[in-house]
Amino acid sequence: MHHHHVDPASLDLSRTVADLGPSVNRWPLLIGAAGLATAIVAAVVRAFIVDGENSLERFLFAYLHSYLYFLSISLGALFFVIVHHLTRAGWSVTVRRVAEVLAANLWPTFALLFLPILVAVWMRSGLVFPWSDPAYVADHPVVYHKIGYFNVPWDRDVAFPLFFTLRAILYFAVWAFLGRGFLRRSVEQDATGEPSISKRFEGRSAWAVLVVFLTVTFASIDWAMSLDPEWFSTMFGVYYIAGCAVSFFAALWVIVYFLQSRGVLVEAVTVEHQHDIGKYLHGFIIFWTYIAFCQFLLIWYADLPEETQWYLVRQNGGWQWIGLTLILCHFAIPFFGVMSRHVKRNRKALLFWCVWMLVFHWFDIYYIVMPQAAHGSLPLGLIDVATAVGIGGIVVAGTVRTAAGHALVPIRDPRLAESLAFHNI
Amino acid sequence: MTDPDKAYNVIDEPPGVRTPLVTGRHSYASLTDTVSHVAEMKTPLAWYIAFAISVFWVGVLGVGVIYLISTGVGIWGHKNPVYWGWPIVNFVFWVGIGHAGTLISAILFLFRQNWRTGINRFAEAMTIFAVICAALFPGIHIGRVWLAYWLAPYPNQMAMWPQFRSPLMWDVFAVSTYFTVSLLFWYMGMIPDLATLRDRTKSRIAGLAYGLFSLGWNGSSRQWHRYEVAYGLLAALAAPLVLSVHTIVSFDFAVSQLPGWHTTIFPPYFVAGAIFSGFAMVISLAVPARAFFGLKDIITRRHLENMCKVITATGTMVGYAYMMEFFIAWYSGSPYEKFAFINRALGPYAWAYWTMISCNVISPQVFWFKWARTTPWFMFVVSIFVNIGMWFERFVITVTSLSRDFLPSSWDYFRPTTWDVLFLIGSFGLFFTLFLLFCRFLPVVAIAEVKGVMAPVNPPEHAEYRTQLVH
Repeated sequence: MHHHHVDPASLDLSRTVADLGPSVNRWPLLIGAAGLATAIVAAVVRAFIVDGENSLERFLFAYLHSYLYFLSISLGALFFVIVHHLTRAGWSVTVRRVAEVLAANLWPTFALLFLPILVAVWMRSGLVFPWSDPAYVADHPVVYHKIGYFNVPWDRDVAFPLFFTLRAILYFAVWAFLGRGFLRRSVEQDATGEPSISKRFEGRSAWAVLVVFLTVTFASIDWAMSLDPEWFSTMFGVYYIAGCAVSFFAALWVIVYFLQSRGVLVEAVTVEHQHDIGKYLHGFIIFWTYIAFCQFLLIWYADLPEETQWYLVRQNGGWQWIGLTLILCHFAIPFFGVMSRHVKRNRKALLFWCVWMLVFHWFDIYYIVMPQAAHGSLPLGLIDVATAVGIGGIVVAGTVRTAAGHALVPIRDPRLAESLAFHNI
Repeated sequence: MTDPDKAYNVIDEPPGVRTPLVTGRHSYASLTDTVSHVAEMKTPLAWYIAFAISVFWVGVLGVGVIYLISTGVGIWGHKNPVYWGWPIVNFVFWVGIGHAGTLISAILFLFRQNWRTGINRFAEAMTIFAVICAALFPGIHIGRVWLAYWLAPYPNQMAMWPQFRSPLMWDVFAVSTYFTVSLLFWYMGMIPDLATLRDRTKSRIAGLAYGLFSLGWNGSSRQWHRYEVAYGLLAALAAPLVLSVHTIVSFDFAVSQLPGWHTTIFPPYFVAGAIFSGFAMVISLAVPARAFFGLKDIITRRHLENMCKVITATGTMVGYAYMMEFFIAWYSGSPYEKFAFINRALGPYAWAYWTMISCNVISPQVFWFKWARTTPWFMFVVSIFVNIGMWFERFVITVTSLSRDFLPSSWDYFRPTTWDVLFLIGSFGLFFTLFLLFCRFLPVVAIAEVKGVMAPVNPPEHAEYRTQLVH
């Protein structure tokens, strides 16, 4: 092995979130609570001033939107960790711990944050998810046909979201087991340096990638596609997963940038790793566009009403501007923006584009979720922003808590030396 | 001589150690000798036999094409309601095969998968020959072959333009672009190796030919620098083409309203299937070729194992797409969708459907076992199954949906004619003829690139690494 002369022992890689100072433990949760409180107050005020508006539903839509947004980052992180092990990747060892922490945060943070959505579905009032309303189902034969997928598979007339709930439990069980498992064993390797752990990861990741792909696919069908219970697209799971990858790589550089500004990861993550993160970001921007474009083109071209209705809603009432914004700001502009090698290797420039992508990925999820709330109008206001801040704050707090006590680099990973010495051609 | 497969363990890679990509005590010189020998040795008898068989089938294909042109497409089994039969199946099958080469040379290059250097040259060659076989079928299917140039958009006195709204027209552009870029990529990558053969050959004619095509390569560092830049650019240009070609092939079906054809997952699903079949064909060719030409040190079992993993991954993606189609056919609540898929699995073509599922989804799962993905003869057998399965996939998609159209009175069972079968075998003849010529006259392994992964890449010095830290 010719990389051995970069001796990890000579570098201080064992810093933790404790080195970031006490504020990271306090502020995110406070900001999160303040955000959610603001959103709730805004919803209550709205109930008084806007006639005929269901403020609870408005809030829950905003909540689901930001929930799916932050969830996509953590799911992207889980995919990254798994694919890293599956391909025996060398370059990415130094940024893997950050991804492991994000993935481990799926449990319990995201499971707990899911509860309001579950409660909304249990209320059987058609809040957010129309199929949860028995009266709606009775009026829509196509939804009645598939209601067993959400409620009780063997009896379509029982209006309780049993299968939907069981699936959600299954998803979180899988994500908790894998997300927490990868972090736990990886931290164990920090102490023992045992190479067999890496070997075990490699074997486990082969079936893990399969299980995660399936669970994320069906979670996206359950939690996003079924907002329009009559609509369907076989591509939908892949679309959400493409967004997971974009948002994860964008978030990864933002996090690394922040940590480095506080003196953490400075030895471990070099401009070479940064360059690779930028390349993946660019690649997945293109992949997301490919999936989004193909889904649209095929539905537009065949022009079948049961499929076009989803886009029809999104081409009227102001939503066409959001769609156009996505084409420009989720593809065309960043496509050229991130293309250059100089941009990818410039810390601040890449940070700019990562923040840019995180903003417009939020609009991507907005475009999926919110038109189902308000056909023909474009709600975007304090509730949406405050909820995003609220959930974001709680997610960051959960992430910091998950990271507590662990080195932010897998300090005794057998491939760490290779990663430290990594150079692009 | 000991068998490198037995002498070297390249399979167990302990974490933190990278297994060498070339086994044996190869020097740069012995590597050049080994690969050049394939093109320089006295033509073996087995080659003549294989070539004679292949050329015979090219002859059959030629007779078929003449008969087709003079008679009409009625010589095939097309009849109401199935007007797209074996030719389109063969077209999609061959285009799919033609995906591995550019994936290996472009996408694996961008992912820094150095093991690709052992196999990229002949995978690229395979790609080009497969695309030639593919292009043949729509070319002769258009009826009046002598008007094929109408596919090209050019200003003309008839004031007539191709139908740009048709994905079949997009195919013309996609496939021809892909063919052009693949050919350029293959040829450009081969220039240093052609120069090597030029410098070694003792034959005047060969020297002239190699000399002509090596474009005056002298291996100066300036030339190498430009070569590397060009290679990187072509890789970046070729990478999206790997996706675009089969995406557009999938549009041929998916833009329609036909149940079983119209579904949004088709583009990535077709791409995954194409890579799947392409890698299977690389294994079908690599396993015998490495044994026959003594290339086991260069195409090691580790290379084969990696390809088996790609096959399992892409085969499982294809399985995911089959599952999503079935699930959404039910979920959509559309009776036509539901019928189309139940008809596939349980209708008159159930035999084809289950052949496809067994070959494409079930058979590659054997590679979860290490023995299966490291035993060359076994993976050869599986790769043949995958090839069969991928042909049947296109058959199932094309024929089952068409044979049950919206008017039950026109439902019928499609039967191929003898000519359908002869054209398919003939296309294999064409493929192997080209491939055998390639093995005989060109460098089958990218000699210069393999040398690049043999040598220890100079690792950055500690000091240099420290200068890149963030302060």
